[in-house]
Amino acid sequence: MIRFENVGMRYGPGPEVLRDVTFQLEPGTFTFLTGPSGAGKSTLLKLMYLAEAPSRGLITLFGTDLATARRSAFPALRRRIGVVFQDFRLLPHLSAFDNVALPLRLAGRKTDDYTRDVEELLGWVGLGDRMNAKPPTLSGGEQQRVAIARAVVGQPDLLLADEPTGNVDPEIAQRLIRLFGELNRLGTTVLIATHDRGLIERSRSREMRLVDGRLVELRRG
Amino acid sequence: MSEKQRVRGRILPREKGAAPLDVVIAVMAFLAALALGASMLADRQAESWREGLAGRLTVQILQPEHPTSSRNLNTETEAALQILRGTRGILTVTPMPDADAAKLVAPWLGADAMVKDLPLPRLIDASIVPGEHVDFAQLTARLQTVAPDSNVDDHTRWISRLQTLANTIIYAAYTILALIAVATAAAVSFATRAGLEAHHDIVALLHQMGAHSGFIARAFEWHYLLSTLAASAVGAGLAGIAFLAAGGLEFAGVEPVPFLPPLGLNPQELVWLLAVPLASAAIAWATARLSVLAVLREIY
Repeated sequence: MIRFENVGMRYGPGPEVLRDVTFQLEPGTFTFLTGPSGAGKSTLLKLMYLAEAPSRGLITLFGTDLATARRSAFPALRRRIGVVFQDFRLLPHLSAFDNVALPLRLAGRKTDDYTRDVEELLGWVGLGDRMNAKPPTLSGGEQQRVAIARAVVGQPDLLLADEPTGNVDPEIAQRLIRLFGELNRLGTTVLIATHDRGLIERSRSREMRLVDGRLVELRRG
Repeated sequence: MSEKQRVRGRILPREKGAAPLDVVIAVMAFLAALALGASMLADRQAESWREGLAGRLTVQILQPEHPTSSRNLNTETEAALQILRGTRGILTVTPMPDADAAKLVAPWLGADAMVKDLPLPRLIDASIVPGEHVDFAQLTARLQTVAPDSNVDDHTRWISRLQTLANTIIYAAYTILALIAVATAAAVSFATRAGLEAHHDIVALLHQMGAHSGFIARAFEWHYLLSTLAASAVGAGLAGIAFLAAGGLEFAGVEPVPFLPPLGLNPQELVWLLAVPLASAAIAWATARLSVLAVLREIY
């Protein structure tokens, strides 16, 4: 599914944010990525969702070597990845419904075809009555749930989430984790970057920890 | 909210800050349409000058110095008339009556009986079959065999001077049109780029979600094509109304300015003003597409 070999990353002439990162995510696995702030978690995610190119090393995504792949192949790879951004990145002029439906529109699905799925999913994350609200009128937690619904709506092969429960109360957080678990059972490979120890302790999943840009395997799931 | 409102929201917002740019585009389109209309007026006027003088010639026969009974003004005029009527390509031949010739000189010499004694030349007005070529050198030579003191004026000198004047006006109008077209293109292009700048986050997000460059570019192209089309149609429409109003004034009997052509455009000419919003929309389309693709190339 995903393989990193001796991957290093630096922004411009700055110091290396990631050093010799080597790991593999098997299809259908559930993994937590932890580490102190500034350890490079977001950078690692960016490399995985193709927002940045590594400074060195080899990344293989869905069997494609990114170093040798054509740029024109990237959009198709990106569509197989659902991302929950730390800052949500919702389109402020679109309703919650339209934000969630965006990946399906990009995949060329027809409105009639996905309306029910989107409504059901928004109900699941507790936003059944806020479907037509625009992001600026939603609370931080509500925006986060819209962002999560958008990431999972297309049942991606890979789900990457950056602190997806940072803004919600523990009850909703558990619900969202169950949603990720459900998706994982359906075959999606899930990787969640989080600080939430409670969340990790309650789960028996694999945990990888980033310290000073180096990856340490803490627990095999 | 209705189902229709909920689904398929526009991927790009209708930006509120765009109004001043729309106004700039509308004003530039108005000026471009005025320049285009003016160049058509100049072209039409130059054409009417050409048509007015071209296709005619005037033969002037002077009084012989020593007239005889067989060779005098009347016999020479008659012989010249015969030659003209027999010349291929000449449509009509009309000798100017002496009374009319006298009228021509009246403003300078007065209308006294004395004028009748002056050896005024005879004038013959001839028109040429449209499209027919008449060899003036040969005609002049033939006329001089029967009337040695005759000359032929085909108005070439006047036509070429008027032509030069008309061309100067047309080229000036075209130059102004070209300058305004460049300024309009720059304004449209600037407005489009400014809008894109504001939407950089959306471009980046769509790209991140796996949208193809073509999909993203299309969203922007249509957005800017339609808004520019609307703004420039307003500008060109106002220019069209201005030309219609100018035509209406003449129709209502307002005295036209001497030497200026009528300022109204006819329906066929008004249709050409549509070129302004169409060209503006095309520029916006191309700018949006190229700009989006350039932005996307910079993102990994």
